[in-house]
Amino acid sequence: MRLLVVEDEPRMAQILHVALERADFTVDTVGTCDDAREALSLIPYDATVLDLGLPDGDGLMLLHELRQAGNGVPILVLTARDAVEDRVGGLDAGADDYLIKPFAILEVVARLKALLRRPGGALGTTLAAGNLIFDTIGRDVRVDDRPIPLPRRESAILEHLMRRLGRVVPKAVLEEKLYGYGEELESNAIPVHVHHLRRKLMDAGANAEIHTVRGVGYLLTEAKS
Amino acid sequence: MRRRFRSLQFRLALRLALLFVAATAVAVAVLAYRAYETAGSLHDRELGLRADDLAASVRLDATGKPRLELAPSLVRAYSADAGTDLYAIRAVDGHLIAASQQNFADRIKGWPAPTDDPSYFRLAGYDGSSESYYGLSVALDSPAGPLWVSVAHAGEANTLVQSLLWEFGADLTWIIPLFTLVTLAIGVLAIRGGLKPVRAVSGMAAAIGPHTTSVRLPEKDLPTEIAPLVHAINHALDRLEQGFAVQRQFTANAAHELRTPLAIITGALDSMAETSELANLKRDIARMNRLVEQLLRVARLDAISLDVSAPVDLEAVAADVVEMMAPWAVAQDRAVALAGAGGPVWVRGNTHAIQDAIRNIVENALLYSPRGDEVEVCIGPDGTVSVADHGPGIPDVDRERVFERFWRGKGAAIGGAGLGLSITREIMSRHGGSAGIQDNPDGGTVLVLSFPLCLG
Repeated sequence: MRLLVVEDEPRMAQILHVALERADFTVDTVGTCDDAREALSLIPYDATVLDLGLPDGDGLMLLHELRQAGNGVPILVLTARDAVEDRVGGLDAGADDYLIKPFAILEVVARLKALLRRPGGALGTTLAAGNLIFDTIGRDVRVDDRPIPLPRRESAILEHLMRRLGRVVPKAVLEEKLYGYGEELESNAIPVHVHHLRRKLMDAGANAEIHTVRGVGYLLTEAKS
Repeated sequence: MRRRFRSLQFRLALRLALLFVAATAVAVAVLAYRAYETAGSLHDRELGLRADDLAASVRLDATGKPRLELAPSLVRAYSADAGTDLYAIRAVDGHLIAASQQNFADRIKGWPAPTDDPSYFRLAGYDGSSESYYGLSVALDSPAGPLWVSVAHAGEANTLVQSLLWEFGADLTWIIPLFTLVTLAIGVLAIRGGLKPVRAVSGMAAAIGPHTTSVRLPEKDLPTEIAPLVHAINHALDRLEQGFAVQRQFTANAAHELRTPLAIITGALDSMAETSELANLKRDIARMNRLVEQLLRVARLDAISLDVSAPVDLEAVAADVVEMMAPWAVAQDRAVALAGAGGPVWVRGNTHAIQDAIRNIVENALLYSPRGDEVEVCIGPDGTVSVADHGPGIPDVDRERVFERFWRGKGAAIGGAGLGLSITREIMSRHGGSAGIQDNPDGGTVLVLSFPLCLG
């Protein structure tokens, strides 16, 4: 899979380059808006990492141009700015996700993988967390290659948690996604499903764990090695 | 007391009073002088007229000798008060024609011959009297030929004037102080009224602080004497505000510029092979990251004027914070939870600032909680957010100091910069709310943020 990193700070670009190559991506690095435009017009990248402060222009402008031209490449924005208007502005201009400096390199890799796993993304259909694998087309869940049968709603909950691996999925979002309009919803329906799901994962020896954030939602993390 | 002497009112009143006393004295002196002068000339004229009358009454008798034939009214007048009015009429050879008293005639006998211009004289000790006589001698024409006429009047010429002046003086003794007081009162009231805007401006100026450098003093309605001062102060405030802005911008920029090198170091460490020394380095760099973040937040809080006017749902904001903090909490083997009020709690404020305020206390609670513990964020329908931990607690003596910038208590968690709580308190004060510390009945600390509820 081929990524374009647009970053003008040489050390930062180098570190990103090394880390992403280690994660089995093919990486091209450019340092200016012009070079980025040219590279994007020549090569169909699977995703782009874009730093906002570039010597020959604002990354947000480049982003806007790309989206105007109908280029749908998934873009992860890196920014040292964290003023609220920048966050909102970045997402409005068509960024798929953003990270604020300073960030952990592993976070960059994780966010990129999440972008690529989106429907239509280059990583396609398989979600992974530790030894837990979820094939979103076959609705097939495996731990260390052993299949785990899951009812429809439990597998739907697991899919949402795995898509947002390491981040909280609010309970309200799960309720909204799992139950249609007008469908009867018991107040403890989600907790009961999660309880069952957690038990099954534990029994299967999965090294990913579902944490309850009481009052807010749920969080899937890979167990610490 | 010294202050009182320096007040404008006092100075003006004092000067006005002195002026009044001086002006009154001069006015009375001039008045008295003029009165005496007028009285003197009146008296002289009267004596002159009397002399004319007397001269006109001298006739030649049948023998051809001059004789005084006074009209009956004059006879009565002269005889009524015989000792008071004197006269003597002589022929130009010094021969006496008539006199009211022989004594008077004798007294003036040896005097030099009068001329057409009246010559004035004063008689002291005449006729054993203690009073002086004042009179004139003049040469006049009469039906009986040229004559020398001398007339005199007893007593000071101006007793009448004197009594008038005394009366006038008595009147002045209460009228002048009264006028002085009334004028002073008007002056003082005018000053007070004129200085009222100055007092208002002073009140505003007293409220100017580091967070209110944009305040300018109103120059309207000020007395023109003071307006230039206020104008100059406003200009000084402009320059100060600029200086402040530069200073704050510098802190913000410095913190901001530190991010890129920090990101580079963080990234480089992430891509190195794991060793125990590397783990320590990562902790150090994480601490530095936090410090820079907080510095940036402080600088930004100092630099911007927060818009705290929007209605904010505390419950939703707290849920966002818990959502944001949960992965970090889990990574630290701790948990974070939300105990909502069961519905929106509306307060007036700034969503992002409130988020920062809550995040700082949640972060703190997580840092001081024992491993495996859960930190609960509790929303009260009265607009409070309380965050309880089961940490070591905060001694009473430190409960105010923990809100100071860079203050770190004994046994402070590694990674703390000592800025979090000061940021929270600052945000709370901008919201008209408060941040306080209570004991957790289960052991540990409860941090309580109280926001004013948004009504209506």
